[in-house]
Amino acid sequence: MSLILMLAISIAVAVGVLLVLSRDVFRLIVGLAVLGSATNLIVFAAARPGGLIPAVIEAGATQLPAAAANPLPQALVLTAIVIGFALLCFALVLGAYLARQGGQQNVDRLTAAEPAATDPVKPPVLEQ
Amino acid sequence: MSHASHPESGGSTYLWLAAVPFSLFLLLTWGLSRHALPWQLDIPWIPSLGLSLAFRVDGFSAQMLALITGIGTWVFVYASGYLAHEPRRGRLFVVLILFMLAMVGAVTADNLILLFLFWELTSITSFLLVGFNHEPAEARAASRQALLVTMGGGLAMLGGLVLLGQMAGTWTLSGIVAAGPTLANDPRLPYALVLVLLGAFTKSAQFPFHFWLPNAMSAPTPVSAYLHSATMVKLGIYLMARLDPAFNDLLFWEVMLIGSGTVTAVWAAVLALRERDLKRILARSTVSALGTMTLLIGLPSAGAGLAVVAFMFAHALYKAPLFMVAGNIDHATGTRNIDQLLGLRRAMPWTAAAAVLAGLSMAGLPLSFGFVAKDIIAVAKAESELFTLVSYATVLVNAVAIAVAGVAAVRVFWGPLELPRNQVHEVSWRMLLPPLAIVFLGMEFEFFPALADPLLLAAARSIAPGLGEVSLSAAYDLEALLSATGITALIGLLFFLAWDRMHEALHTLNRFDRYGPAALYDRLLHGLARIAAWHTRHLQHGRVSGYLQLTLAALLSMGMFGWLHTDSRLELTWDWPDHAWAWAVACLLLVAGAAAAATLRTRIAVLMASGLVGYGSAVLFLFAGAPDLALTQFAVETVLVVVAASVLPHYGTAPLQQEPLRASSGVLAAAAGIGFSAAGAFEQSAGEWRTRRVVRSDQPGRGPWPQCG
Amino acid sequence: MTPRSTLLMQSARPLYWMMLAAALWILLRGHNEPGGGFIGGLLAVAGSSLLAIILGIPAALRLQPLAPLPLAMVGVGLAVLSGLAGALHGLPFLTHLWTGIGLSTVMLFDLGVFFAVWGALTGYVYALVDAGETAP
Repeated sequence: MSLILMLAISIAVAVGVLLVLSRDVFRLIVGLAVLGSATNLIVFAAARPGGLIPAVIEAGATQLPAAAANPLPQALVLTAIVIGFALLCFALVLGAYLARQGGQQNVDRLTAAEPAATDPVKPPVLEQ
Repeated sequence: MSHASHPESGGSTYLWLAAVPFSLFLLLTWGLSRHALPWQLDIPWIPSLGLSLAFRVDGFSAQMLALITGIGTWVFVYASGYLAHEPRRGRLFVVLILFMLAMVGAVTADNLILLFLFWELTSITSFLLVGFNHEPAEARAASRQALLVTMGGGLAMLGGLVLLGQMAGTWTLSGIVAAGPTLANDPRLPYALVLVLLGAFTKSAQFPFHFWLPNAMSAPTPVSAYLHSATMVKLGIYLMARLDPAFNDLLFWEVMLIGSGTVTAVWAAVLALRERDLKRILARSTVSALGTMTLLIGLPSAGAGLAVVAFMFAHALYKAPLFMVAGNIDHATGTRNIDQLLGLRRAMPWTAAAAVLAGLSMAGLPLSFGFVAKDIIAVAKAESELFTLVSYATVLVNAVAIAVAGVAAVRVFWGPLELPRNQVHEVSWRMLLPPLAIVFLGMEFEFFPALADPLLLAAARSIAPGLGEVSLSAAYDLEALLSATGITALIGLLFFLAWDRMHEALHTLNRFDRYGPAALYDRLLHGLARIAAWHTRHLQHGRVSGYLQLTLAALLSMGMFGWLHTDSRLELTWDWPDHAWAWAVACLLLVAGAAAAATLRTRIAVLMASGLVGYGSAVLFLFAGAPDLALTQFAVETVLVVVAASVLPHYGTAPLQQEPLRASSGVLAAAAGIGFSAAGAFEQSAGEWRTRRVVRSDQPGRGPWPQCG
Repeated sequence: MTPRSTLLMQSARPLYWMMLAAALWILLRGHNEPGGGFIGGLLAVAGSSLLAIILGIPAALRLQPLAPLPLAMVGVGLAVLSGLAGALHGLPFLTHLWTGIGLSTVMLFDLGVFFAVWGALTGYVYALVDAGETAP
């Protein structure tokens, strides 16, 4: 792997982790987006990128040109992009809803789903 | 609280459902008259796992089937009367039918895994039936206990069956039995047998798992009569008897069965004396009877096979009616406490008649099939050399059985009626006919043992191949019987008369209850809940950042573990592809976007900065032969920014707070940055190695990647 | 509704049609070259979102063939239908068939994806925009 690519991915991952570990709910969601992009790149980079030729079989041919790019990681990453997109769409709305319900944006204080326990054995009861 | 005199509440009473077991019963008798046993059926299901729909009906299975469908028919009739006022009765009937089919499957399955499936299905349906009246907490606890104990045992049994299957190289029960003697020297055999016996002992409530059956009496009475006396609890006995021809010679097997059977029979008999609840008394005596059956299976003589079969048959024919009697009393008076029940014969003459006749059979007195069975058992025991202790134990057990029969059949019906006369009344015909019918069936077999001969002898030969030419009729020797059972009957009579005094005396046993297996079960369950609560408290504390830190740390240490345990190495180069400028631009975009996202303070700016990271990777895709990815990434990032922009108002307009860089976050971020990107580099070397191999082994000239399209 | 710039109001519709044309082009192009239903659908979503934000949701709905949910349902239905074609020829479900003149069930599948993405995401965006108008 080209060292420069690795360096760029490292920075993106580190920033993504920093954002995800932030106490602010919006930064957390943006961090998910950054971490998602970086992860896609790791998968992509792991499969020896290099060839410029797309993995498309030319008209009349029955197989890929030898120098074509590897289609397998592309398929994986394509799926990951689509699912990551859906996840972020959901997370954005969930975050907004929780922030409004809780009246503040500190993720560690948004505990509506996991209220503190009052019984030594039984789980806490969710308040409606 | 009585219901029977009220007009029936609306809806069907489901009496017609009794046609289901009855038609199966007719099918069975028709089959028995036309086709010789055994019947076999084998449909492959998942052959690679040794799983096939293999069924085999021999004499023993046929006897079990006769009990399941025959008693079942009357139980369904009884239930339609007993539950006439229960609004949720439809649910009970569905589960009851499901249970019956599971039982039919369990006693006909020849494949080990199939047997396990049906076995567990009976446990699940038993759970649903015991917990049918789910409002009282005790009923829920009882059903959960029945489920956990029998399912736990079932799981152990699965392990044992798989071990047996591997040792014998066959997955059929009949194959295991045939291969039995050759397995004797296998070192795994004791483990396999202990596991299988765990399943059988839990199902048939053998010591130390005897505690679940009395608690299961919170089930509606038709269920107790059917599952917990006549059929399901005999499943463990069924399996042990099935396997007995293979392992009868093993001292280990003999000691386990005779030991556990004797302890169960005696201990349950003692515990029966401690109960005041009629149904619980009957349940304890059922456990005692099951112990006797286990003991009989353990006996090496061939006559013991006949004894098991006859006793099982007799027990079902008297215990099911006795449960129905208890249910009638409960239904008519609203109580099952024997202290409040006296002189019921005046109000419930038909119930009393059924009780007396069933009680005769249970006590092994003349005029009943129990009389015949008791004699066969005596013969079987005489054939085998028993420890003296075991012989004494059986006398005690029989005496208690007589006393229990006396309590259930005589005590509650004789004497002055204690309850107000207008509170007690006879129950409907649907609840009277079934116990009377079953009891008369038993009497018929007593007067004409030849009627039961073919069924019972065929059954006995299936589990005791060495059985010679005998006949139940031949065993019927009045004079010998009377002298043999006379002394037992005398002790039983003493027990019956001294019931209340012994009950008082046995109170001293209460202090040992907290060391018993039932207490151990409670402590285990409670401990499990405490551990779960403790670990939930510490792992699910509600702090999102804590969750993420833990997840990331776990992921990183897993990666580290993988790195230390493989010989993969980093493969890093300064090589630049031809279009290096494009990669450089992409990397620049990526880094700039990341840096901006981390430092900017307005939400919309942070959002667009994160979009920049996406655009950077899109550019990279574009110049790495993945224009589809690039297009998708561009489109997704654009739409995401649009979407997020419309959500932003909900997050408010205040700028983001400057956050101090926490040491833990910094360390995790650095470790993740290095670790995850390095993981990509490792994968690359491994990936290249594999593709090279594929290219070499594949046809030369083909592209390095598999074809698509 | 907050006041918006006249320039934006005037250019919204032409921009929308241009984006829709681009979306269709990407969709059709996807048959032989990079492109396809998902990306085309996303472009159409971007166009519809533009309309919804600038001119309001009713305007955006008027220029969409169907309301979001029915559109998404038609899309999924088309995709399933395209898969059935192979099944009718005794091939596994979702095996795709080609005719000589460049038409194929793959095209139908892509069209289904296009509609599904367009419908589902515009439904999502409209709900957000609607909630955004009334946000505190």
